[in-house]
Amino acid sequence: MKNKCTITNKIREHRFFANEMTQQQLAEIAGVSRQTIIAIEAGKYSPSLELAFKIANAFDVKIDQIFIFKMEVNHND
Amino acid sequence: MAYKEKKTITTIVTGIAVLTAYCCYSFGSTIAASDTDAILKQQAVTMLKFIGIGIVAMIVIQILFHILYSISLAVASQIKTGNCNDKEIEKMIELEVIEDERDKIIELKSLRIGFVFAGIGFVSALVWLVMDGSPIYLLNIIFIAFGLGSILEGFTRLYYYSR
Repeated sequence: MKNKCTITNKIREHRFFANEMTQQQLAEIAGVSRQTIIAIEAGKYSPSLELAFKIANAFDVKIDQIFIFKMEVNHND
Repeated sequence: MAYKEKKTITTIVTGIAVLTAYCCYSFGSTIAASDTDAILKQQAVTMLKFIGIGIVAMIVIQILFHILYSISLAVASQIKTGNCNDKEIEKMIELEVIEDERDKIIELKSLRIGFVFAGIGFVSALVWLVMDGSPIYLLNIIFIAFGLGSILEGFTRLYYYSR
């Protein structure tokens, strides 16, 4: 049995509803570079808990409204 | 391409240039000394010289790169908006230069690969010595392994940034 964990996010959606906030603006609020925001948004990099909270705070929402954790259990293995 | 990727490319190019210069100097020059101890001492002096040259070259090129990058940002801002505000440029540079958790992770991963390569080179040099190889080449193998390890570290960093 092998578990596959995936973390998706809704940053793009929240940026849109936050008056089309730019990646640069979000990066400034979170205290990271724009490249990091791009990587997180594309799902290529999973942020630390601290950064995830900072991003959630930037949109004034709870962390689970931005980041969605999914665990697929594969019973075949 | 982002600031950090460009900076990494300049580091790689500097590393390759210094290592190539070392190889040309070291393998191209004739050895004046006759006994092994004197040759080893001569090699060590050459290596120390090139370590110094490498450090100075790296600092100078990084400073030049930073200046040129700032100028290019100012020119781009001038073309785009029509005015060039120093404070805005400074802010843009600050945001690009900022080192965050992703940079630290990439640095750690690339350093590990660089050190593994350098370690393999070191072990290979010891194996070379055990197999009755010349101690003069031992020093060169170690030095080149560390140089290549540093270049490989740069390429790994580029790979992780572009991923």
